[in-house]
Amino acid sequence: MKTAMWTVIVLGIVALALGAGIVQGQQAPTGEYKIGVLEPLTGNLAVQGKLHVEGYEIMRDLINTRFGGVMGKKLVFAVGDAVDPTAAASEATRLAAREGVKIITGTFSSTLCGAASEAAARQNVIYWETSCVDPRMTRRNLKNVFRTEIDGTGFGWYNVEFIAKHLAHRLGKKTSELKIAYLSEDSSYGQSVTESARQRAKQEFGMQEVGPEYYASSTNDLTPVILKLKATNPDILHHIARDPDAILFWRQAREQNFQVKAVVHAGATGYGTPGFGKAFGNDANGPFALLEPGPGFIIEKLRPEGQAVERAFREAVKAKTGSDVLAGGHQLAAGGLWVLKLALDAAKTDDLDKFRPAVLALDLPVGSAVNGWGVKFDETGQNSNARVQHYMLQWQNGSLVTVWPEEFTTHRAKWIPLGPWDQRK
Amino acid sequence: MTVLPQLIVSTLLLGGIYALIAVGLTLTFGVMRVVNFAHGEFLMLGMYLALFAFARLHFDPYVTLVLSLPISFAVGWASYRGVMRPIVHASHNVQVFTTVGLSIALQNLALVLWTADARFLRTDYYAVVVRIGGAAFNVAQIVAFALAVALTAGLFAFMRWSYIGKVMRATAQDRDASALMGIDTDRVYAITWAVGIACVGAAGVLLAPIYPVYPTAGLQFVLIAYVAVVLGGLGDMAGALIAALAVAAVEVAGSYTIGTAWKEVLYLLLFIGILVVRPAGLFGQRGAEALGT
Repeated sequence: MKTAMWTVIVLGIVALALGAGIVQGQQAPTGEYKIGVLEPLTGNLAVQGKLHVEGYEIMRDLINTRFGGVMGKKLVFAVGDAVDPTAAASEATRLAAREGVKIITGTFSSTLCGAASEAAARQNVIYWETSCVDPRMTRRNLKNVFRTEIDGTGFGWYNVEFIAKHLAHRLGKKTSELKIAYLSEDSSYGQSVTESARQRAKQEFGMQEVGPEYYASSTNDLTPVILKLKATNPDILHHIARDPDAILFWRQAREQNFQVKAVVHAGATGYGTPGFGKAFGNDANGPFALLEPGPGFIIEKLRPEGQAVERAFREAVKAKTGSDVLAGGHQLAAGGLWVLKLALDAAKTDDLDKFRPAVLALDLPVGSAVNGWGVKFDETGQNSNARVQHYMLQWQNGSLVTVWPEEFTTHRAKWIPLGPWDQRK
Repeated sequence: MTVLPQLIVSTLLLGGIYALIAVGLTLTFGVMRVVNFAHGEFLMLGMYLALFAFARLHFDPYVTLVLSLPISFAVGWASYRGVMRPIVHASHNVQVFTTVGLSIALQNLALVLWTADARFLRTDYYAVVVRIGGAAFNVAQIVAFALAVALTAGLFAFMRWSYIGKVMRATAQDRDASALMGIDTDRVYAITWAVGIACVGAAGVLLAPIYPVYPTAGLQFVLIAYVAVVLGGLGDMAGALIAALAVAAVEVAGSYTIGTAWKEVLYLLLFIGILVVRPAGLFGQRGAEALGT
């Protein structure tokens, strides 16, 4: 009797364990698989670099504990510090030559990814970019380079999509009647977003334009530019900014009482960083920033597999940070690493000759992965703009909340057109 | 031209900010012959002092300004004793490497302690502007400009008429002869360095309500301050003030008429052009490099 009881208990435990495995759809990983993680961990870019590493770590732990590792193995990291382009190249070389990794992921900044991916190519190592948006990175015919995030042209594409499909009718104008002023800091990021937006706005929608006006993000005075813009009376300001110049512009625009009907930005800099809201509080109300999904995002709108991983990711972030609000660095790094897991599981190898066709064959619709992304890489190694669904967030009372596409969010865009400066409450 | 009043106001206010930073630099330049590449980092420290005093102690920046003078002077004195004193008689190469090293060390210290985030000291009156004749004056910038003029005048008077000022000028003109006359040149250098840091620390406090604060915030101002100091004539404070206004005028007019991307090219062309014609700067005397001469 006693033996029979123990048999039932043991069988029960085994059944529960198997059941858990079935629920997760995965078996526990055996052995280790190491990749290189290359981010700026010191210097000016360190805050974002560390956020990215944290995002990778959150997703790595999730992959190992709940999604069966990669290729059935436990995923582990060798981390390098890419403080500047020179260090990015030397660290990429070290990760490949000394740590023996076959895949390097990183480096978030457009100033770093070019150098890092070149060095990885020389070592015949796969370079898996998750954040940098410089379009040139995937235009060098390097077969080892892949990017999960959209590039700068994708940012411009989405911004114009938002202006044409949402702002135009809210402003009661045809797209061809809209006058867009283009203002941007002069890095490759700012220029690529601005130029792609200009091209699409003009060619597809016939929008009128003012500018473009480029400036160094370290500028000390934007008043002359604001005076010029004020004289042209644009409907919408398309402003790609870094952090200090976004703060300077907003203060000086208010001083000059510069009124536009909407301000549209793209990326996790400038208007897209929490620092902008901290700087101005409720006086920050109004500007839009194209980002990954933020507060208000309706997860139920994703496909079932996308919902599963998105929920798991959000729970893991909350467990780590105590916050429901996701950081852009977390989302980009984790989203990119998840796609790498899918690619490695499909390829079952890191041999570039077999890995590359497997990556190009991945075909997942929007809503299948973290951040609601889909996957379809082209021959250059760039994930499709249309698949990497992006969202427009707006500063509303101290928070960046998701406002577009409306079917994915509970929040709605406000202050269209923007009212007087002291009435945006 | 309806924007002309605003362009003139912008020039004056921006030039005032550059002059405020340049005045401390021209003092150390003129007396010690030391190019302080860490000048911008002491500016940044002044900005953080104002930021944290406001955020944690609720001190208005203009209250912090008063406190910043002795604090910055003490920091300057300590940095002279710890870093500059051993190399003040060394070659220019050694001085350059030392101050660049100090600059990098202070930047990275700020990064480690306070992160790279750009922050903003938002006072209740940050958006208050005075509108006169079609031009908007930011109150904080008016104060910065007025204090820049006052500081320049005060330092000029101090150097011209005070005993310590005369001693500093004597040391600047001939260090060895001054020592033979019984002047403690080491002490003069310590005072000069500390006064220079106190000036730039105060400038940092005044800039905090106007510009974002982050670890490399000083860099964007200090290059222009160097240009103003050299353009005005090494060690000439009134020259630095006028040169700062000239640089600001070129920046503002260039940004408005040609484009913001060109403004650095324009003021550096002006800089090169003037130095070709007058190698000692607008008001400097060739070979003198002395204060008040």
